[in-house]
Amino acid sequence: MYLIAYIDTEICAATSCKLCTQYCPEANTILYNNDAGKEKGLKYGSAYVAVDRCKGCAQCVWVCDNMAKHNAIKMEMIDQVGDSALTENITYGEKNTTAKLANPIRG
Amino acid sequence: MSLDYVKFTPGFDRWMPKEYRDMVDHGPFGKKTSVSQVGTFKEILEEHPMCAGCAMTLFIRLAMIAFPNPEDTITVGTAGCGRLAISQAAIPFVYGNYGDQNGVASGLTRGLKLRFGDKPKDVVVMAGDGGMADIGFAQTLHSWFRKEKFTTIMLDNEVYGNTGGQESGMTNKGQVLKMAPVGKKFEKMDMLGMAKVSGCAYVATVVPNNPRRVESVIKKAVLVAREVGPTYIQAYTSCNIEYAIPTDKVMEDAKDVENDRYKFSEYLTDDAKQALGELYGYKEYLPKPAKTVTAG
Repeated sequence: MYLIAYIDTEICAATSCKLCTQYCPEANTILYNNDAGKEKGLKYGSAYVAVDRCKGCAQCVWVCDNMAKHNAIKMEMIDQVGDSALTENITYGEKNTTAKLANPIRG
Repeated sequence: MSLDYVKFTPGFDRWMPKEYRDMVDHGPFGKKTSVSQVGTFKEILEEHPMCAGCAMTLFIRLAMIAFPNPEDTITVGTAGCGRLAISQAAIPFVYGNYGDQNGVASGLTRGLKLRFGDKPKDVVVMAGDGGMADIGFAQTLHSWFRKEKFTTIMLDNEVYGNTGGQESGMTNKGQVLKMAPVGKKFEKMDMLGMAKVSGCAYVATVVPNNPRRVESVIKKAVLVAREVGPTYIQAYTSCNIEYAIPTDKVMEDAKDVENDRYKFSEYLTDDAKQALGELYGYKEYLPKPAKTVTAG
């Protein structure tokens, strides 16, 4: 098993800084869903990770902890994160993306 | 520019890979995208085989988001880590044999000018410090002396990262590396000084720990190259493998290096300022209106 970045939606949707999306070295790996916080009554959307593209460098963790100071991202084992976003289940919209969650190992 | 060449032949779209369909429907072609919108549109750069946490990849990704007209841009590269990512993008990539990248880009720029006239066609060279300052040094400098109208970007990781850690002309004096065990004996080459002397219209240094600044620098360099002459960007893009930087500390290193020896600098000729101000709406470069003196 290996580590991937996991973003806590509740912390992320309370702030909306989007810094991690700008600092990830992988393209279209940390994406943003503008509607993620609405269901939980939070103010903003949230970033999320397409786990099949994440190489586990943890640069986003440093950025979230030290630049944004939100501590919303942790490194987790891929078999421990539960249903996650995968590239094949991500839908692009007008200035927004949404992801249907699926098991990261079995798809 | 017709965007038909990035669209599907009718009836074939459902057989195409998802990434391709997303690129046609939600990519940046024909739209204005910026770093602040990243994460909500399909990027030109695709999955690539670069190391985890590579700052060079982050810079390449930001550069590709920043291209003013991605559908009219061609990248040129050479051997080295960078081309592994640059070639995995939805815009044409031309491989210049080691050291030839600025020569290839010169011919390409002239050919595009003949074929398309005044329609903007941007050529952007992205190569490492070895390809540009050592092996391709002559071609790089000569392309600048000839005032070829394209952008040259050095991905300066201060080492030959792809071949195991030999010193390059851009390595700092005294630096010990795997294949330079006694430390480098000479100073880092002053490519910025040479770029200015040889007539580049826009010269900048940048570190990828400030994405908006990277975006601004790339946009200006490409636009000045389109109108005025050669432009040069020198970007510090650390090699976390050869310099043993933990991947989660790459941005901390970038910040330290920026404060230490890679401070942001920008140099524009008067022609470059005039072009940016008059043609592309950069008001800060327009001459300030003369103050009216009121008789007291």
